[in-house]
This record gives sequence, C-alpha cells and structure tokens, in this order.
Amino acid sequence: MRILRGIPGFVVRRLLLGVLTLWVASLVIFAATQALPGDAARSILGRNATPESLADLRQQLGLNRPVVEQYTDWIGGVLTGDFGTSLAAALPVTEVIGERIEYSAFLMLIAAIVSIPLAVLIGAVSARRRDGPFDHTMSIITLALAALPEFVVGIAFVVVLATTVFHVFPAVTLIDPGVGPWHYPKELVLPTLTLVIAVTPYIARIMRASMVEILESDYVEMARLKGLSERLVLWRHAVPNGIAPTFQVIAINLAFLAGGIVVVEYVFNYPGIGAGFVDAVRSRDMPVVQALSLLIAAIYVVLNLLADVATILVSPRLRTSLK
Amino acid sequence: MTDVVEAAGGLTRDELLRRGAALGGALLVGGALSGTAGAAEAAPKIKRGGVFRLGISGAGAQDFIDGQHIVAKSDIARLVAGFEGLSYFNEQYKPTIDGLAEELEAEKPNQWLIRVRDGIEFHNGKTLSADDVIYSIRRTLKPKLGLFGRAAFGAVDPSRMKKLDSRTVRLTLKQGDVTLIDAFSQYFQGIVPFGYSPDSLGSRGKHPLRFIGTGPYKVKSFVPGRQSIHVRNENYWREGQPYFDEVRIINFADDTARINALLGGQVDAIVDVPYAQIPLVQKRKGLKVHEQPTGAWNPISMRVDVPPFDDNRVRQAMRLLINRPQVVQQALSGHGRVGNDIYSPFDLCYAGDEFPQRKYDPEKAKSLLKAAGQEGLTVDLQTTAADTGMVEECEILAQNAKAGGVTINVKNLDGGTFYGDQYLKWPFAADYWGTRNYLAQVGVGSLAESPFNESTWQNHPQYPRFNSLYKQALGTVDLNKRCEIIKEMQKLEYDEGGHIIAYFKNLADAYSTKVGGFKIDRGTLNLNKYGNGFRTIYFV
Repeated sequence: MRILRGIPGFVVRRLLLGVLTLWVASLVIFAATQALPGDAARSILGRNATPESLADLRQQLGLNRPVVEQYTDWIGGVLTGDFGTSLAAALPVTEVIGERIEYSAFLMLIAAIVSIPLAVLIGAVSARRRDGPFDHTMSIITLALAALPEFVVGIAFVVVLATTVFHVFPAVTLIDPGVGPWHYPKELVLPTLTLVIAVTPYIARIMRASMVEILESDYVEMARLKGLSERLVLWRHAVPNGIAPTFQVIAINLAFLAGGIVVVEYVFNYPGIGAGFVDAVRSRDMPVVQALSLLIAAIYVVLNLLADVATILVSPRLRTSLK
Repeated sequence: MTDVVEAAGGLTRDELLRRGAALGGALLVGGALSGTAGAAEAAPKIKRGGVFRLGISGAGAQDFIDGQHIVAKSDIARLVAGFEGLSYFNEQYKPTIDGLAEELEAEKPNQWLIRVRDGIEFHNGKTLSADDVIYSIRRTLKPKLGLFGRAAFGAVDPSRMKKLDSRTVRLTLKQGDVTLIDAFSQYFQGIVPFGYSPDSLGSRGKHPLRFIGTGPYKVKSFVPGRQSIHVRNENYWREGQPYFDEVRIINFADDTARINALLGGQVDAIVDVPYAQIPLVQKRKGLKVHEQPTGAWNPISMRVDVPPFDDNRVRQAMRLLINRPQVVQQALSGHGRVGNDIYSPFDLCYAGDEFPQRKYDPEKAKSLLKAAGQEGLTVDLQTTAADTGMVEECEILAQNAKAGGVTINVKNLDGGTFYGDQYLKWPFAADYWGTRNYLAQVGVGSLAESPFNESTWQNHPQYPRFNSLYKQALGTVDLNKRCEIIKEMQKLEYDEGGHIIAYFKNLADAYSTKVGGFKIDRGTLNLNKYGNGFRTIYFV
C-alpha cells in the first residue's frame, strides 16, 4: 500500500484485518451455536411441546434448513445490515437488542468517565508519593478490590446501601421500556459503582508502574533540574508519557465492560446486553446470540485499534517508524 | 377482654359474633375489637387504586401472553390478569362455579351443559357468548398449537358441541367424563373471543385479538422478558373488583435480584422465595412470607419397560433407598410433607396415606436387588434445576442408595438438554408437576396418550387393567363408587408403578404488609392464584 502511509494507512490495514477477524469470529460463533444441545422451538414450547407443535414451529422458524444455508442466509443478511428475526421474541433482532445496547453503552460510558480519570489520578499520585502512606494504602485497597469478584462487590453495595443497612439507592434497576436510562440516575448509582470498582484497580496499578519508571527517567530529571514545580513535572511531562501503556489496559477493561458486565447486569436486573446474552443462550435464540457476539467482537477490535492508534500518537518513536 | 381479642385472629366473623354473644353481647366484642391489631386483620380497610408491582421469574424474550397457554410463571401471572375460565378451583382445591359459567354440569356422564353468565364483556366490548365458548374449546384441541390443556379434553368431541342458545352449549363426549369440570377449572383454560389468534400463541402471533379476554385487567403494554403493564378493566363483571388501578408484572432473571427488589421496596410482592432465604424475609418488618402447602411433586421416574427397571423388585428397592424425611429436611429445608409414591394428595379419593408409608430400608432393598440379580447396581439418573428440590432430591437418593450397594450417577443437565429429544425417554430421571386431582393427573401423565408419561406405564402388563379402571372411573357419577375404583388404580401404582414420590412441597412467596387479601391456597399457583388474577388483593 503505497498510497496510504502513516497513521491512515495503519488504520486502514488494521480495519481490514479487523473485518477478517470478525468473519472468522462469525464462523466460530455460528459453529458454537450449532453445537448447543436443544433448539429454540423446544425452548419456546417448553416441556409441553408435542411432536406436531414442534414440527410446525421449527418450520415457521426455519430451523429445518441445512446448516450451510442457515449460515449463508445469516451472514448475507448481516452484510446488508439485516440481523434477522429473534426466534424467541418473534421480532427483528435489532429491535430486541437495540434498547439493550443503548442501556449497556450508557452504563459503560459513565463507568468509564468515572473510573479512567480516577485510576489515572490514583496511579499518578501513588507513583509520585512512592512508598508513602498514600501509595501503601492505595496499593492494599486496589489489590483487595481487584481480588473481589464483581458480584460480591455488587451484593455488598446492595446490602449496605439498598436493602439492609441504609435504604439510599434502589437495589435493582427497574427502567420502563422505551425510556432512556439517563432518566433514572438513582438506579444507575450502584451498578456504576460496582463497575468502577471492577475496573479502576487494574488501570491504577498499571498507571502507577509506568509512572514510577518515567519519574526516574532522564527527561523528568531534566525537567526538575530546569526548576519546574513538581506539579508541572508530574502532570505536564510525566503523565502524558506514562499514560501510553495504560491505553492498552484501558482498552481491555472497556472491552471487558462490554462483554463482562453479565454478572453486574444480573445482580441489578439491569436490562443490558449482558443479561440479554444470557437470556438468548438459555432460550437458544441464535440470531440474537450471533448478533451480540459479533457486536462484542467488534467492540474488542475497535477498542484495540483505538488503543494502538492512541499509543502511537503519544509515542514519538512509534509515530516516526510508521512514516 | 384480652382473651376475646387474642382469639379473634383465628376465628371467622360469624364465630366471633356468636362467641361474643355468649360472653354477654355483641357490644362487648365491638368494644374489644376497636383499636386493636386483631380488628385490622378481621376487617381490613380496603384502599382502592394504586399500582401493584409483582416481581416474577420468567423465561425471557420468549415470554408471551395467551389466554390458553403458559410456559413460565411470568406467562401465568399475565394470563390470570387478563383471562378467565368457566370455573375455578377454590382454595381447598375443589372445582367451584365461580367463573364465567353460571352452570357447568354433567347432565349425563357423557353429556355436559355449559351456560355462561349474562352480560359479561370482553375487553373490546363484545359480549361473551356460546360461540366464544365453542371456539375456545376448539382452539384448545388444535394439535398444532400444542396448548397446555389439550390432554385434559381427550373426551371432548369437537364435532359435537351444540349451541342451544346465545349463552348455552351442550357437549356430547366420546366417552363419559364426570371430571370434565376439573379440566375447565384449570387456570390456563381461559375463554377467548371467537377468532382469537387461531394459528399461533397469542402475543407471538401479533393477532389483533391477542390480549382480549374478560379478565379484571387489560394489557396496556408488554415487553417480553422485561415487564407488562395491565390497567383496570372498568367494565369488569364482579361487583367492586378489581381494586388496583394498575398491575405491573416485572421479570427477574435472578432470585437474589427479585428478593432485593422486595427488600428495597421496589416491588410489592414476589413469587418463590428460595426456602433458605425464608428466615431473612420473615425477620423483616413490613414483609410477610406467604407459604402454601400444595400438591406439587417432583417424581424420580423409572421406566417400567427398560432394564433394570422392568423388574418390579428393582423399582421397589429404589423406592426403599430414599430417606424421605431427610429429603424434606435437606432438599426443601423442611417446607414440604413426605410422600408415599402416590400423587394428588388433595383428591377426595387419595389413598396414599392408607397404604403403608414407605421408609428408608437399605437392607430390604439389598435383598430385593439380590433376588432380581441386580446386586451392586450402577445407574445414571438425569435431572435438571427446573424446579426447587429436583436436583437435591436426586443427590440425596444417590447418597442414601450407597447403603444398599447401589451406585447412582446423578447427571445434572441444563434445561435445553434435559427437555430435548431424550425427554420422556430417559430410563431414570426427575421431573416436576403441580397440583392436580387424581384422574386429571392420570390423563396427562399415566396413559398411553398422555403427553408426559415419564415411567412409560402404558407398557406395564397391568396397564390394560389400569386403563379400563380409568375409563370406568370417569363414567362413574357416584363419588363413593368412583373412589373405590380410583383406590384400585392407586394400589396398582403403589405396588408396581415407576414413580418415586418423596414429597409434596410448599410454595413460598412474600409480599409487603401494605397489601392485603391473600389467602392460603392449595393449588398450583403462587400467591393465592396471584390474588385471583389480582382482583381479590388490595392496598390496605
């Protein structure tokens, strides 16, 4: 590719690779869904299914078609933006998961807005005050929190702030369908806090490690020797460089938020994609499982790409090597 | 005076008045009652209106609303809010003329007369008529729809349903069935308007009539897997009911989230408090646990036509290898009663407590197995967590059976696999059933044509006898005679059958004390049939 050089070229190449990744993912997802025992017709009819009603519903749902045909129909639809019809809900997949995506994205966004600056701050200050009381305290707290599974944190919040000790926040998220989650700030507090606690420790620890290294580097020493204030040294010179390795961790954690909030959504009955995913697998609603898997795979691809681009942009060495 | 007040809780109003008179006048009682807690219970103040929120477990996106079919509990709650049957089981599980029919009786064993009440309106304003009744029965019988109630209407001949006048129908049956009222009294046997969603389940088919019933609430909105909103039917036929302005039925995929919603005051009632959590809810001020002793059972079934269970000695041995009191204590945390391998404990002809109670007896089991040449038997037992206790009882059986030299490998499968193509073919598997009377249960679970014959009882040498007794019982009007026949059937199942029935279990639900009107009900449904379709409960 002579025409596309530098960062645009890099992005285009990575996007093409990403499309390839997604295609391979689609094959794996499809094969995995085929391997699940039982089918949607069984699940819909429950154990009251009769041979007649099963046959009729399988016919209606198109479950009798050959596997290859099912795949080509599906992937053909995906390419034209048609994700098919949910078997369980008998509605277009986009309609079934559209609102769920909106809910999860919003939760993810506020969790990210809170946790990323918080983690960067904790990491930077800990590195600056290395081996001081703040550093030690934070080190213990972040380690402890990183070791706690999200559902434990979630349930602890519910017990303390919603049901047993105080009754400050709602224990579960009851959002009326068709109403955006931003109309329910109180309901969002506990799920957000739980996610923040799930994500912040990792980012903070990486940030601290990378900052410790940078604060000992020559150019920081240089900046100090020039007589700049510690605050300026830290935030103007050290942090922008220290954050580069953190981008990768942030990307992984955001991707985790997209796919891994199943547990948190379960605990709080939050109607997002995590809960929708579990629901769809349980009911063998393959079009929904496939659409959500592809979506989460795409989020991983895009976030990783963004992290790489951001890393390149903040690292002069990498920036020039692309030219 | 204190004595009177304390006694008041356990007495009916009539008894109280009588006793009051004996003590020296109704005036005294009136005085004693005013301003006491006992009085509040005896005559709760009904507050009209309000939004009642129920937390329930659901299937997810495949939830639906249909007047004649259910799969998950969420489907049940939504059905009873909007649809009604011809008759109902009362709290003692006795079929009662308390529904859309003012008359529902067997003129002869093979001839039933149905007359619906005058002037009942569907939600779309159409008046309920004989045509709707005939249509509803026909729809139930369509094999393609696979509706829940079909098996119970085996005796009904769809070509011989005669409309006598605008409210009256006469059914001439293929064979006598004096228990047909049981089938009509099932909560899922709603009467739907003529033309109601003929080719698919109601809300899945998008048919214009899909939400139209005669029930106390009309559907305002429904998002499968999340929630439904039901508003008061202003033209409802029962005087004064229902009380709420709106009912919200909210799905919870997780038990803990459902309980938390109740503890946090976000819902007013929930179904199915896990037995282990009952003390937690009981402790809480402002909440009440509603426990109902039902006839629900979880059989562990052996196929009578597949080795090693085709030998009755092996089946007998297995029935002796389960410690029933231990199962009730451990699998149900004590919230149930020991069973004796016979179902339908509330049937007027139930004989399970007349036969000797089977007890844990590994030695006797050993000798039975030895006689059958099956010493040191090893078998697989399939189960799934579809219902409380189903997995636990299997595990306890496996433990208990070791003392008899039997190795049971419990396979805990996911629902999709368990209820997949192998379902009803497993040689040895658990399952679940709700409350039913005996003949009704036989119809759905023990006949060659039954949809769920887990023990393949139809291949047992005694089955022809059993089947002819069944037909005979259905045609016998006299209750005593019928009971004699039914007892003989139960004896056959007790001696030779394939079910291990270790217990009948309780339903445990919970609600806020802001809500009143729930009664203890022996039937299959939670929360006193969801407060009889949310019409007999109210805010206090």
